[in-house]
Amino acid sequence: MAEQLPLHFEFRANQTFNDFFPGTNREIVTHLQRCVAGLGEQQIFLWGKSGLGKTHLLQACCHQAQRQNIRSFYFDLAHAELPDPAILDGLDEYDVVCFDNIECIAGNADWELAFFNFFNRHRDRGHKLIVSSCAAPNDLAIRLPDLKTRLNWGLALKIQPLTDSDRIAALIFKADQMGFEIAPQTGRFLLTHYDRDLAGLWALLEKLDKASLAAKRKLTVPFLKQILNEDSHD
Amino acid sequence: MSSIWNSCLSKLENEISGSDFSTWIRPLQAVETDGQIKLLAPNRFVLDWVKEHHFAKIEETIHEFSNGTLNLSLEIGSKTSSVAAATKIAKPAGTQKASPNYLNKAFTFDNFVEGKSNQLARAASMQVSENIGKAYNPLLIYGSSGLGKTHMMHAIGNAVLKKNPSANVVYLHSEKFVQDMVKALQQNAINAFKEFYRGVDVLLIDDIQFFAGKERSQEEFFHTFNTLLEKKHQVILTCDKYPKEIIGLEDRLKSRFGWGLPVLIEPPDMETRAAILMKKAALVNIELAQDVAFFIAKRIPSNVRDLEGALRRVIANAQFTGREITIEFTKEALHDLISLQDKLVNIDNIQKTVAEYFKIRVADLSSKNRKQSITRPRQMAMSLARELTSHSFPEIGDAFGGRDHTTVMNACKRITELKEADNKIAEDYSNLLRTLSH
Repeated sequence: MAEQLPLHFEFRANQTFNDFFPGTNREIVTHLQRCVAGLGEQQIFLWGKSGLGKTHLLQACCHQAQRQNIRSFYFDLAHAELPDPAILDGLDEYDVVCFDNIECIAGNADWELAFFNFFNRHRDRGHKLIVSSCAAPNDLAIRLPDLKTRLNWGLALKIQPLTDSDRIAALIFKADQMGFEIAPQTGRFLLTHYDRDLAGLWALLEKLDKASLAAKRKLTVPFLKQILNEDSHD
Repeated sequence: MSSIWNSCLSKLENEISGSDFSTWIRPLQAVETDGQIKLLAPNRFVLDWVKEHHFAKIEETIHEFSNGTLNLSLEIGSKTSSVAAATKIAKPAGTQKASPNYLNKAFTFDNFVEGKSNQLARAASMQVSENIGKAYNPLLIYGSSGLGKTHMMHAIGNAVLKKNPSANVVYLHSEKFVQDMVKALQQNAINAFKEFYRGVDVLLIDDIQFFAGKERSQEEFFHTFNTLLEKKHQVILTCDKYPKEIIGLEDRLKSRFGWGLPVLIEPPDMETRAAILMKKAALVNIELAQDVAFFIAKRIPSNVRDLEGALRRVIANAQFTGREITIEFTKEALHDLISLQDKLVNIDNIQKTVAEYFKIRVADLSSKNRKQSITRPRQMAMSLARELTSHSFPEIGDAFGGRDHTTVMNACKRITELKEADNKIAEDYSNLLRTLSH
């Protein structure tokens, strides 16, 4: 099997629903969109492995909320240290609140209690809560039973990894959005030679876009090999 | 929303990372007045962060879009609450017109599914709602999380209001009581706070275990409680355990909470769980077949919230795919959830948990030993295996040293009888069920 080459650059995607390639996760997108619009579930627990697009989807929810004049708040709990739970004060007034990586509060008694109190206040107002986690709600090591049962209460949706053919379709979709073309055989080459993690693939696309623009050449497999070969020698 | 702020947001969205933008910038609310744009942050934490990390960038963008005509300021507040906050002193919950009592009208006695596990609590609650201040005062409903205590409490409040719409009924979580009291102290409005809570006809306080360790709140609640009882006004409380077991709760409160009637809600049995599922489905106009309800009830043995979560998943999936809700479909929809549950609850796991609980060896459960100290845990483990797994009586018998299926059937029957007759056994069984279901 061909060796995977390391890539060291960052990519900042437009994190909206339009920029998300759903593949087998179309149901999740529908439920999130309905939830933000106030038509569907009051609480969604999105879980699954990292690198599948949970952060993208949560931010897409906030983006949609902004377009619909709905107040939203997003916070990623996966920091080296959890912030002061005072960050939860007043958030119950927000129509849509998204917490990324909720598993990070498990075992922290102050945060569990503060989140439980926030949950009740927010829910009593009929507002929407969307959380993401690497584990299913039942598998979270939350110690406060009152919080654990509440996290189990909502609609739990598991984000599925894309199949290889969906990954190729996703590469073509993303490239198209960025204004250039990728042929299916180019997509297959990228998948067999590089990390198949979506974030890594998007970063790779940005690199290829820049190189293609600079060289004014189409992204053929030989040109691809040349660019990536140069990159590995940088 | 301010159009200038909208333009600023569009620009900043491309200049600040998505995560930072969604956390610190997008949630700010803009209020534009003559010569000034005021951005409202939800709390001190967000305010300080924005000031330190993003203020200069925001200010520069605002100057650009307003041609330097607007000055920027940052404050804590929200568009809906900032005006009110500026004009009012701390008015405790329950005085606001929009939500006068915090009762959820959806929770009634009619849609509360009665089973053996909650029938006493339901009967007592109905009596209280018909004779406020007279039947049982205080009424204390206790039991593990997610079994319907809050539903019951709201049902009482709604029934009281139905009978007497002018009754002053207030529902709140214990944390809200503490929060209101702290606010009242800060704003020098403690007398208004006392007057408010001591003047209600029916006070419903949820999850009183969270008063633990909060001495000042306990003292205030103690006086509120006494005043209401003296006036023969009704107090209804919920707690996740019997109050005497709460560490950090003053003895005088523990003793008072036991004055009226403490009633326990236990985890629902399988028939009740199935009935709950069918009722919840009917509330959203879905007719859930009995076999599907039992299929879910058998696999989600823990509490009502878990059941509701599973049902939501099935209904959401059916609505998305347009498929009929059959057992096959339910299996697919709950695939992830059920495999987790199966992984957690199997006969091995039950035997290990029961042996640890009763401090015996796992091998004793499969042995020929007929001492009561071994047979009782063995019967309990068999009964739990029947309730929590999908194994048949013969399969369970095999797993317990090759016993006959009739032995398992008798064990299940015996445990059911003992649970009725002996509180200790009922408690042990309930503890084991809880341990295995989480």
